[in-house]
Amino acid sequence: MKQIPSSVMCVLGLLLIATTSACSLQTVKPWQRGDLASQEMDWETDPLLAVYRRHVEFSKEAASGGPVLAGGGCGCN
Amino acid sequence: MRICGLLLLLFSAGALAVAPGERAPPLGDDAVSLAGLHGRVVYIDFWASWCAPCQQAMPHLQRLYDDWQDRGLTVIGVNVDTQPARARAMAQRLAISFPIVFDPHGVWPERFDLPTMPTGYLVDRQGIVRLVQKGYTDQDFRTLASSIDTLLKEPSP
Repeated sequence: MKQIPSSVMCVLGLLLIATTSACSLQTVKPWQRGDLASQEMDWETDPLLAVYRRHVEFSKEAASGGPVLAGGGCGCN
Repeated sequence: MRICGLLLLLFSAGALAVAPGERAPPLGDDAVSLAGLHGRVVYIDFWASWCAPCQQAMPHLQRLYDDWQDRGLTVIGVNVDTQPARARAMAQRLAISFPIVFDPHGVWPERFDLPTMPTGYLVDRQGIVRLVQKGYTDQDFRTLASSIDTLLKEPSP
């Protein structure tokens, strides 16, 4: 088996360090959740439009409860 | 609403001891000093306008403050909003009159390592933390009021 040159291993090691050192495992502290709680961060910023979309989704999928309940409209669950 | 700078208490919930404090970022004209609060029962409430349980707690704290400030209770709200204008609006809407200070950079929550929002620290007349109120529901009001009442009955140092 051909051995990988140490210089390549070194470069790969440096590359690994360079790419992973930018990662952060810091969690959002309880008092820092203001931005997350803002309306702009909602999946659906318009409640009325959200209800409309769910209604269309339920109708098209013939499902009851849509994404929040288990089972569909087939009555098999 | 009374806005003030505050010489905040630096304490460790684990050690339950209050040490001389540092100055929180002052925003208003008035200042509340730790020395001025000596001998009083102090409830320090960390809150934010985006925090729903905080909104539940504030009127209750205001009620306790109104009823018992003559007995020696001081309530201090430490707001951690990054936009103090939102905090002001909420405090005005809820007709809050107890002292409020702003810490938009989260210096004090970081130092206290707040477990959740809101968190309240009940400090007795000796300056010892006797209760850490984590979170808030309507059911917590009775417990909190009872704890404060007990501390108010204790003699001043």
